[in-house]
Amino acid sequence: MRIAEPSNGESLGPRSGGKKLIVSRVCKSFSGLEVLRDVSLRCDEGEIVGLIGPNGAGKSTLINAITALMPVNSGEVVINGLRVSNTTPQFGAMSGLGRTFQNIRLFKRLTVRQNVEVAHTSALRDKPGEAAAIDLDDLLAQFDLSAFADWRAGSLPYGSQRRLEIVRALALAPDFLLLDEPAAGMNAGETSALIDAVRQSSKAFGCGVLVIDHDLRFIMTLCNRIYVLDAGQIIASGTPEEVRNDPQVIEVYIGHPKNQPTQDH
Amino acid sequence: MTVKSSVLLGSAALGLLIALIGFSALLFAEPYHQRIVFIFMVNLIIVLGLQVFMGNCDITHFGHIGFMGIAAYAVAVLATPIAIKKTALATAPFGLSGIELPLFFAVPGAIAITLIVAFFVGLVMVRQTGVPATIATLAFLVVVHVVLLNWVDLTRGPRAFYGIPIKASLSTATAIAVVGVLIARMFRDSRWGVQLRASSEDAAAAAAVGVRMQRLRFAAWMLSALFLSVAGVLFALFVGTISPKSFYFELTFLTLAMLIIGGMHSVTGAVVGAIVVALGLEVTRFVENGPDIAGFELPQMFGLTGFYLGAVIVFGMAFRSEGIVGPQEIEEWWGSRQQGKQSDAGSSEAPNP
Repeated sequence: MRIAEPSNGESLGPRSGGKKLIVSRVCKSFSGLEVLRDVSLRCDEGEIVGLIGPNGAGKSTLINAITALMPVNSGEVVINGLRVSNTTPQFGAMSGLGRTFQNIRLFKRLTVRQNVEVAHTSALRDKPGEAAAIDLDDLLAQFDLSAFADWRAGSLPYGSQRRLEIVRALALAPDFLLLDEPAAGMNAGETSALIDAVRQSSKAFGCGVLVIDHDLRFIMTLCNRIYVLDAGQIIASGTPEEVRNDPQVIEVYIGHPKNQPTQDH
Repeated sequence: MTVKSSVLLGSAALGLLIALIGFSALLFAEPYHQRIVFIFMVNLIIVLGLQVFMGNCDITHFGHIGFMGIAAYAVAVLATPIAIKKTALATAPFGLSGIELPLFFAVPGAIAITLIVAFFVGLVMVRQTGVPATIATLAFLVVVHVVLLNWVDLTRGPRAFYGIPIKASLSTATAIAVVGVLIARMFRDSRWGVQLRASSEDAAAAAAVGVRMQRLRFAAWMLSALFLSVAGVLFALFVGTISPKSFYFELTFLTLAMLIIGGMHSVTGAVVGAIVVALGLEVTRFVENGPDIAGFELPQMFGLTGFYLGAVIVFGMAFRSEGIVGPQEIEEWWGSRQQGKQSDAGSSEAPNP
């Protein structure tokens, strides 16, 4: 990393229409092992898109590639006409990406409010207009975190930590929100509250949401459109109905009992 | 930039404590003890500067005293009277033996020279993290020491540099320490300070929310160097005679111990650590000389002070790894006690992972 600003996103011509997150033909391999092969997907403004796949399908690698946390071998990720892949995570955030992590990564020593402020400070720098419109108190209230505002993030109950990660990402005033297994470890009540909150904030912020999970029922309930990733390739996509009836998906995914992939851990 | 009222409150509480120490020494203490309190104030400013970098970046810093040495020697070379330089520093390069600046120029000059060095060292430093960064700071300290020791024409080498005008007073040092507390608190609790602390906890998560860690680290590095250069100038202008060994491992470890014992993640910790370690040091120094206590003669125990510092660090780390104060500031103590009660109740809600 350099001290200088990351500014290597190239413009891909004039914008056409609304905000777009486009992943085109992304390949990624780790020391010869191909983890993502020709993955293409898109998410439009205000859309909630799901990405499912069994453990090891490459879901988290894809989200790390999209947010420029790791470089890709070929293909590219373009947000609102700016190439984000192979830049820096800071540039991704500036271009409109907010994300959560599969294993919660809060700033545990900071308070709940400070966790959100960290992101908001970046937003105030990168897009002052949009950021100034965000009321952090409202945002915390929307996710039932007001009472915890002055708590150390590390001392929060688990479900609240997951919600705080989403609030932190939203404080960036993102155009696209990437949620990596947001419902992991939540009970049914918390999960349905989460679904409501994600829908609401997608509307309120006008942001597209890309949700990654292996819980089929959760994704089916939340999303307008779904991609199915298996062994590094997109094997199906479409509405929840279409995906549910896709024979290939049934074979690799739903074929297991109880509509759940087997989990070995 | 607006300053949060909690920051002002906390700084005021600590500032009052420091002012109380300084002014009671001014009013009631003998010169010998005033001297001890002056050195304490200098050490406090060093520890505050160390906290600005270490506490916010979570990188152990062994090089801070190097900046102090550069500033002390810079002000010495610039401000020492020509009459003294004629004999003491006759062969100084760049015609420096014929220059005598008034303090009004010499002090800012010395600070500027130190900051220029800090700037270039910082460009390299902020690229490192963890152990390599710490080793780099240690290397910097050694480099400064070797230069001070061997650039005999400029520094008189291992021999003492004497004749520096004695102009610093205890009241100046106290005032600077009080202002230092406020500045350190304002930095720590500013938006950028919070971002920096976030990035020191989880660099990847911070990057994902747009935090530019290296820039913030660089800012902390420069601010820290500013504190250290002020400490160096104060020290030189108080003692009047300096030598390279004044700015080496002994002072490095003393001030590191102060910060770590108090708790490096808070300014309150820096202040408390400086006070506690300094008090303990005076007591051990007293005992070391084998005093008579109530007719009972204690044996002389040389090296007790060094033993004390070591023991305090070992026990401190073993039983309170976050320091006496922990990561919280003075005004948060009450609030955190409240929160502690709540979080005991809250933790039972957390499901098993």
